[in-house]
Amino acid sequence: MSTTLEIKDLYVEVDSKEILKGLSLKIEHGEMAAIMGPNGSGKSTLASVLAGKEGYNIVNGTIKYLGNDLLKMSTEERASSGVFLAFQYPVEIPGVATSTFVRTALNAQRRNRGEDELDAMEFLKLARQKAKELEMSEDFFQRAVNVGFSGGEKKRAEVFQMSMLSPTLAILDETDSGLDIDALKIVAEGVNKLRDNKLSGIVITHYQRLLDYLKPDTIHILADGKIIKTGDKSLALLLEEKGYQGITGAN
Amino acid sequence: MKNLQHKYYESYKDNKLLFPGLDITWLKELREEAIAQFKKDGFPDKSVEEWNNHSYKNLKEKYFTPFSDNKFEINSKLIEKRGSNCVIRVVFYNGTLTNIEYDNLPEGIEVNTLTHFIKHKPSFLKDKISSAYKYAEERLSNIVDSRPQSIVAFNTAFHQEGAVIHIKKNVKVPGFIELLHIGEYSKDTMQHMRSLVYLEEGSECEVLENIINDTANDLVFTSNVTDIYVSKGASLSFNCFIKGGTNNIHINNIHGAVHEDSKFTSTSIMSALGQVRSENRINLLGENASTKIDMLLLGSKDSLLEGLTKVKHSKKNTFSDQKARIILNENSKASFQGKVRVDKGSDGTLANMSSKSLLLSKKARVNSKPELEILADDVRCSHGVTIGNLSLEQMFYLRSRGIPEVEARKLLVSSFGNIIIDDLNKNFIDKAKKIMTDYFND
Repeated sequence: MSTTLEIKDLYVEVDSKEILKGLSLKIEHGEMAAIMGPNGSGKSTLASVLAGKEGYNIVNGTIKYLGNDLLKMSTEERASSGVFLAFQYPVEIPGVATSTFVRTALNAQRRNRGEDELDAMEFLKLARQKAKELEMSEDFFQRAVNVGFSGGEKKRAEVFQMSMLSPTLAILDETDSGLDIDALKIVAEGVNKLRDNKLSGIVITHYQRLLDYLKPDTIHILADGKIIKTGDKSLALLLEEKGYQGITGAN
Repeated sequence: MKNLQHKYYESYKDNKLLFPGLDITWLKELREEAIAQFKKDGFPDKSVEEWNNHSYKNLKEKYFTPFSDNKFEINSKLIEKRGSNCVIRVVFYNGTLTNIEYDNLPEGIEVNTLTHFIKHKPSFLKDKISSAYKYAEERLSNIVDSRPQSIVAFNTAFHQEGAVIHIKKNVKVPGFIELLHIGEYSKDTMQHMRSLVYLEEGSECEVLENIINDTANDLVFTSNVTDIYVSKGASLSFNCFIKGGTNNIHINNIHGAVHEDSKFTSTSIMSALGQVRSENRINLLGENASTKIDMLLLGSKDSLLEGLTKVKHSKKNTFSDQKARIILNENSKASFQGKVRVDKGSDGTLANMSSKSLLLSKKARVNSKPELEILADDVRCSHGVTIGNLSLEQMFYLRSRGIPEVEARKLLVSSFGNIIIDDLNKNFIDKAKKIMTDYFND
């Protein structure tokens, strides 16, 4: 198995406050890793740093993505080379239709990779197929990006975008929050469909429930800015039983 | 300034041959009342509340002569082909009619120039071309202030031409009517256009007023005043797209009288390098009358754009919705003043107003002032103003999907303007989008 992502000894500050403190993590090709951890442990910071959000000061450490230095790549370059972040709070963009947005993104990525752009018909065909898989109505193509979407619709739209852009590394930042059981199942099935295509993933979650559907290969506990424990799904069960304090040994 | 007022007064007397209708008593009186008003008030200075954001220095210091130098040479570059859904188009070049284009004009639609109507149907115009006093500002202190309307008075005295649209009872105009004004005036001249749109009961009509002033080097002063009447149960969509050159001062005024069960939509899109000011004063005069006023201001370089709206709810159960979107780049400046006045007894009024500005450079400046004057008890009014830069969250979201920074910026800026453009009738969307594209490319 080759390595998709390798983070070594990562220290990150936000507004001079140290959030990640020596985080190391390795994700193999096709591996689905879950990251669990208490509030404020740095989970979302990790997701933002991987996607290339500004405002994060990398103090130390390296991130290799498919053998390249991820930190040297711009946000859009990362996206074009297959990094996808499903946002915890998807952003509303009034005045831009969802289909325009996704088509612009897909074609920008294709252009960047030296591939031909999809024309309107090819795009629509693909979008219809993906929407059907996610049991989404096509009405949302013409609706402005995330505007007036319910919590569940927003998360489903994130997975729709992911499935349209077919990434190599997907980072799901609390994609389960705000979803009811039925929606959770559909979203998880959507993600699982992509796994058939050798997707690597980082699933950030607080709950066992999503992991029941996604069946991650590894589970990492992130606390106080670093990975303090790694294991298989039994770790999640243990966590459910004992809580973070029981595992980290903190009082 | 007194000197300048006197000079214009003399100019009015000296150039009488340029001003049509002086042989008609009521029109002569209207012009003379107007020049007297201007002589008294002058151009508004910063002590006039509606004019306190920017001083129109050139207007107060320079003297403009009435434009009279028509060569009838038409720069075809600026005149695009008539749109396929345009039933009739009136083309003015430097304020003079050059063409009225139509194929088969359906019955019940009369469209011609103001001078044509003055000559052949002056009685139709009587009491419809209104005095500037009609829309004078009633202050809360009960003082009636004519000064904010002194440009209208000036236009009433000096107008040389204009368009008249008359839609007869229950006639629904297929497609739209276009008034195209192309201006390539010579230096230090002025031209004032006076138009009238009159919809009889139950009629429906869409109008595009396209004003293109190309005056890169020469300082000119232009104004358009349009009196609009929407009779009972009628519906008018009036779309005014204004493009102006670097040294053009253009002041636009729309006065709308909207009657029972009727609907008036006014959309103004301004993209100019000089100074453009657009005022919309709409009176809702009958129950269930409604109006929607949208404005999109696109500023760049050293331009100054101002939008002013005033909706007066004078009857019960009337509705108004105002939306302004302002996008400013480089050193441009803009202002938006939106006022809702609900007269005593106009219960059941519903009025919304929103103004949002997007500043794309450090030097761009905007003033936004929403005002509500509510004298009735049972009303629902809302207003909201925001001024900001591009959202970093939105930029990150787009870029995280692979959209390059420049493209992401364009997408967000146009989406901001699309809130106005997407609401246009489909005949005008492409034209409006082109104005946006030109704005990006300039």
